[in-house]
Amino acid sequence: MSRLLAYCGFLQDEKITLPNTGVNGRPIEVLVHGALRFLWSEVEWPFQQAELQQSALNFHRVIQHVFQQTAVVPFRLLSLFDDLAALENFAAENEESFVADLERLREYVQMESVVYIIAPRIPADADSGRAYLQQKAAAIRLSGEHAAEVKGAVNGLSREVHVREVKTGSRIFALVKRGDEDRFRKAVETVPVKEPLSRRISGPWPAAEFLSEAVKTPQVASPR
Amino acid sequence: MPSDFEPITLTGSAEEDVSLLDIIDHVLNAGVVIHGSLVISVAGVDLVYVGLNVVLTSVETALRNLKAPEAAESKIERRTRP
Repeated sequence: MSRLLAYCGFLQDEKITLPNTGVNGRPIEVLVHGALRFLWSEVEWPFQQAELQQSALNFHRVIQHVFQQTAVVPFRLLSLFDDLAALENFAAENEESFVADLERLREYVQMESVVYIIAPRIPADADSGRAYLQQKAAAIRLSGEHAAEVKGAVNGLSREVHVREVKTGSRIFALVKRGDEDRFRKAVETVPVKEPLSRRISGPWPAAEFLSEAVKTPQVASPR
Repeated sequence: MPSDFEPITLTGSAEEDVSLLDIIDHVLNAGVVIHGSLVISVAGVDLVYVGLNVVLTSVETALRNLKAPEAAESKIERRTRP
């Protein structure tokens, strides 16, 4: 059974080069709808388990190829259309919101700083979970404080900053001008990482965190 | 869990190591979610064909599924069947 796997949408620009192949070595195709372009491949479905990890990497590389040249709206892996007509309907229904987001995000990329809480050590003489819980509470508080400090440090070079508390710590997303990635990293690195925290800075990524709701969860003409 | 994955190097304007975990996180959890048709497949079998308002599996779930497809299958089926 074949399905249509959509990779990403972007605004037409004749200078943009495209990859030749995508997931499972399938050719990359382009759907043209006004100023919008959607990359897709016809893939055999379902994927095999052994191929899933490689498929994720190939999917990422297709998006990355275009994203290195321009802003993209990425689809999530495993989001499939039944056929080309379904993707064409999707493009027609969502053109306005996709174009608006791509124009708004044209010059921007997403940078991230994730703060992880390293599991607290339980003292050898602990006779209850109290010490553990106290350490954990302190670590969560520290993670929140760290996120607030990082947010303050990058505010000046970010158009928008989102902070999300996650189970393992805090995740900071910043929308920064393409080319300001190193400034972001340096700004984050001015904030010291205290024990028991650990930090990971990553990016640039497509600005998926900053998409409008209309694009994140778009209309579909004929939902099943 | 992260030790299961080899770091890979992506070439770009700012070359850096990006872990596979980061990539899987982004391809599964960042971007457009199509309401309507979505199939999550593990071990070569369509496990679910979910209708509206589906939210893709988290990284943790995806990694768990990769390791224990049978357990994931029964869990997902239980959740989606009335």
